[in-house]
Amino acid sequence: MTANSTSVVMMRRMSKRFKNVVALDRVDFEVRPQEIVGLVGENGAGKSTLMKILIGLYQPDDGEYLLNGRPIKFRTPQEAMRQGVGMVFQEGCMVQNLSVQDNVFLGHEDGFRRWRVLDRGAMRRECKAILDRVNLRLDPDTLVRELPPAERQMVEIARLLWLLKRYGAPNPVMILDEPTTVLQEKEVATLFAALREIKKEASIVLISHRLEEVIENSNRIVIFKDGKYVDQMPAAGADIHRIEELMVGRGMRGNHYSEDKQRIPAPNERLRLENVSKKGFFEPMSFSLREGEIISLVGLIGSGKEELTKCLLGVARFDGGRVFVEGKERTIRSPSDAIRHGIGHVPIDRRQEGLALDFNVADNINMLVLRRLKAHGLISPRRERENALHWVEDGRIKTPSVKTKCGNLSGGNQQKVVISKWLSSGVNILVLDHPTRGIDVGAKEEIFKRIRALADHGMSLIIMCDTLEEDIGLGNRMIIMKDGKVTREVECPGDAKPTPQDVIEAIV
Amino acid sequence: MPDSTDSAGAGAILRRVKNLPAVLYAVAALVFFVILFSILNPAFFSLFNFNIIGLAAMILLTAGIGQCWTIVTGGIDLSVGGVISLTSVIFIQTVPRLGVWAYPLCLAIGAACGFINGNLLTRIKIPSFIATLGTGGILVSFAYLISPVATSAPFVPPSRFDPLDVVNGAWLFGIPNAFLIGGLFFAAFLTIQYFTVTGRNIFYVGSNVRMSWLSGVNIVRTKNMAFMFSGIGAATAGLILASRQFSGYPTIGATYILSSIATVVLGGSAMTGGAGGVVNTLVGALLMGVLQNGMTVVGVDVYLQQSLLGALIIVCVWISFDRSKVEIVK
Amino acid sequence: MDNVQADALPKRPQSYLTGLKEGGRAGWLLAQGLMFLGAVWGQLLSLAIVCLIFGIGSGGRFLSPDNIHAIVGLAGVPALLCLGVHQIVVMGGMDLSLEGVVAICGVVCGLLLKNNVNSMDVGFWILPIVVALGGAVGLLSGIIHTKLKMPSFIATLGVQWVFFGFAILISGGRSIPIQDARFQRLVTGSHILGIPNLALVGVFFWLVFEIFQSRTKTGIAMYAIGGDETLARQAGINVNRVKVIVFAICGVMYGIAALFLVTRLNSAAARVGNLLLFPAMTAAAVGGVSLTGGLGRARNAVLGTVIISALNNGMVMMRVNPYLQEAVNGIVLITAVALTIDRKKLGFIK
Repeated sequence: MTANSTSVVMMRRMSKRFKNVVALDRVDFEVRPQEIVGLVGENGAGKSTLMKILIGLYQPDDGEYLLNGRPIKFRTPQEAMRQGVGMVFQEGCMVQNLSVQDNVFLGHEDGFRRWRVLDRGAMRRECKAILDRVNLRLDPDTLVRELPPAERQMVEIARLLWLLKRYGAPNPVMILDEPTTVLQEKEVATLFAALREIKKEASIVLISHRLEEVIENSNRIVIFKDGKYVDQMPAAGADIHRIEELMVGRGMRGNHYSEDKQRIPAPNERLRLENVSKKGFFEPMSFSLREGEIISLVGLIGSGKEELTKCLLGVARFDGGRVFVEGKERTIRSPSDAIRHGIGHVPIDRRQEGLALDFNVADNINMLVLRRLKAHGLISPRRERENALHWVEDGRIKTPSVKTKCGNLSGGNQQKVVISKWLSSGVNILVLDHPTRGIDVGAKEEIFKRIRALADHGMSLIIMCDTLEEDIGLGNRMIIMKDGKVTREVECPGDAKPTPQDVIEAIV
Repeated sequence: MPDSTDSAGAGAILRRVKNLPAVLYAVAALVFFVILFSILNPAFFSLFNFNIIGLAAMILLTAGIGQCWTIVTGGIDLSVGGVISLTSVIFIQTVPRLGVWAYPLCLAIGAACGFINGNLLTRIKIPSFIATLGTGGILVSFAYLISPVATSAPFVPPSRFDPLDVVNGAWLFGIPNAFLIGGLFFAAFLTIQYFTVTGRNIFYVGSNVRMSWLSGVNIVRTKNMAFMFSGIGAATAGLILASRQFSGYPTIGATYILSSIATVVLGGSAMTGGAGGVVNTLVGALLMGVLQNGMTVVGVDVYLQQSLLGALIIVCVWISFDRSKVEIVK
Repeated sequence: MDNVQADALPKRPQSYLTGLKEGGRAGWLLAQGLMFLGAVWGQLLSLAIVCLIFGIGSGGRFLSPDNIHAIVGLAGVPALLCLGVHQIVVMGGMDLSLEGVVAICGVVCGLLLKNNVNSMDVGFWILPIVVALGGAVGLLSGIIHTKLKMPSFIATLGVQWVFFGFAILISGGRSIPIQDARFQRLVTGSHILGIPNLALVGVFFWLVFEIFQSRTKTGIAMYAIGGDETLARQAGINVNRVKVIVFAICGVMYGIAALFLVTRLNSAAARVGNLLLFPAMTAAAVGGVSLTGGLGRARNAVLGTVIISALNNGMVMMRVNPYLQEAVNGIVLITAVALTIDRKKLGFIK
């Protein structure tokens, strides 16, 4: 990338690893003055990691960061803000119980002191002026919790803009992370109108998966994939298919997922969801899962797939529709209901939600079946040990002993313990949420093999993987969701797997 | 690679020491203080004195074991004093009419109080320290209502069986019954803790409540049980106290709020939950007994003892607090 | 301004409050008054109900000027305590050290004012001394909480035990008679317009706290911390500093309250603080200060205290058994907490 001497931000060869996972691999990134640059890529492509480095939340392992031509290193987001670089997070950063005015000036009230107390009149006037910049007519005393998401978003943007300009930075850079996910169509138009105004005094980095919006509203589009910079292009006249192609890459590595061993599912239905829906998350949809079948559930943030699995597992509730397990209708109101009906869950965050890290391997594996390991009415340590040893061997878990604390195992082995825990309890349906996240390449292969073996033995699986390739490679069938609706169902037979390009337009 | 900012030697040793099970610290402290007090006042090291210590320890043990499980689940029971007081009063009032049946009655009342505490927490979602603070006060009020002044146990002529002998007697080889009761209590709770599903669940819930919920553990029932057992433990302590003092009055339990928490904490159970247990509490009870008795024997002012205990609790909580579990400390 | 998209955002109807605020000083004051009423209508209603019940039950005696005088006087000291404590609750914490701090401050007052135990006679210098002492203990609680990273209720529980012990130690477990009667006259008198002096002091501090809460950086930061501590930290607020300041302020209020308590009785003993924690917390909860944090201002603390004082005064007047009164207070506490906590924030509570 040629060094443009008028770039606001210039990042070169940025690299960042988290333990054994590479998040960024020698990435180049540039922001020019008064432009909106759209940053696109799949989940896990490295977009948020790079942005967090940009604002000083993370430190890169390697690489150059130039701001207005000078090398810079931010240790905290506050430092970055003073130099004019800030981000509006998806979750927002306003305190709900405070008013708009209090939030806007939070931490920066110093300028309004008059005789040792704050001049509320001046604060109110300034706040109204700030809100005016983004065309918001609001009473500054309104509590943030009472604002609809669209207005909250605009206040955040207005606040960030004010903060960035406050310290006199010549070329502020504002990063917006998926700003339109919570907005309706009309609100989206308002947002981009406001951004076009803001562009005159600041540069904007727009992270979004809505490619049409990005093409329509940015000057330039940058594409990331798997932690690497892929390409960039001017937004004017950009071809959406080309962008999709670049986002997912071509072809797939051969037999990485033991596709040749992929079985044909048995005809009997294990699970059937009929017209299940949840207001605000996904519309009525139906699908069924057979014995020995692996279904990949695919979709970006906001597609509704996460909420769907939550309802299936009893963490949340369906608003409508019916659930049939082994042909019988069931209501699932809590995780213990789900477990009772044979549905298990390997969570995305195994350390927080899958394991008791203080406890040893045996305790974790036996956790769900303690009632069955009794002798004479009390839990039998001998039977516990037997059960644990059985599953350690079955799952090929590498651990010095069953008494080792789970916190001391490697990520891959921790995941195996979680899987064994569920297998031990005899579930027939297992939901795997990003089963290989945070696990090194060698252990990943083992997990893939295990998933295959489970299906072979009759387990029904619903998986949500880190990459599209994994989803395609492992699944018998793919259900693609976007914005709360099922857009496509794709068959992925072992000998005729679709390529990522074939399906990408249903996803984004 | 080891953290290069840690100097080898002191840093490494401190890290290893901190990883040892907390019980060992407590046992080491126990041994240390026994030796210390014996040196400072040889009268400390006598069978007679150990008898006194043991008795005090039994009461602390029963009150502490119940408290222990509530702390393991991440809560706390501040109504221990109230339950003890109420139990002592009701026991003395009902012994004349119910005889030995007064014991199970009071245990049931303790369980009921604990159950109410548990439900205030699990169903009405009031933080345990407020709920138990409130119920503790209410229970003390009831105790006052029943017996504004101390009531004494009725005199029983030696020819007849005195129900209070269940605690005061020495039926087995001359070992005071109180020790046997304490021992049985400890054995029972030990069994529950290690060999029943509820006991295991208490520790799972304390260690990671969200994970336990996702794994189908009935959180509501587990926490309710923990508080119910706390009530039973406190009631037992009240029964022992009332029997030994031959009377019951509403302020009898007041000091046990602090003492029961100290017993649990000194034994090494962590307030962050998930670690500790009845064995820790046993050591803690012995340690507390030794400390309180030793300080008195050596001549430390009674009120200074309280201050020292308070400071000691802060230090122990600080050491055992598992910061990796708690991002924000409120 | 880009007017093309201006009407894309639905115009929200200008609420009449906003209109008032824009309408000059008078309008602004009226708006503030209305907002105040809106925030505490529940409490005002409860107060009205209490007055109604006891007014009828006592045949009107409850509402006599003499009794109102008594209630207001009764509420003075608890109001100071509640004003101190409620800010800690707003930050999401708890202060259980009230009784111990009051004990040590009370005993120190007894020993430093003219008494028959030693030869000290500091007179009005006692004020800065007790403020400094209370503030120092509060500071200590805050430091234990922030630096040692211990939950506030354990930190303050520990402080409570330590200082209560000290108080009994230095007072020898006895009461120290105070012989400087000037204070007693001030505390129990009503020099201005027949309003009890204690009430005036209460109102004074009420105003001070209101200003602190809405017009200082630290005050606003306090609410941010109570709302979402992580976000507050991200915004650059020095959370530890704010917490320590709030704990110190609370300690100062405890000290002042202790001074009033011992001079009112002309006798200082360590137990002067006993049984004061409950009413202070109940007053905060009843007043609408939520235990989950982020909600509640000085007005809530004061109103809550008035309600509780009225309640207790009424119960005494109707000759309710004193021990039953305690039970009633306990039930009110639990109910008030249950009603004001924000369940969504709690998730799985401890």
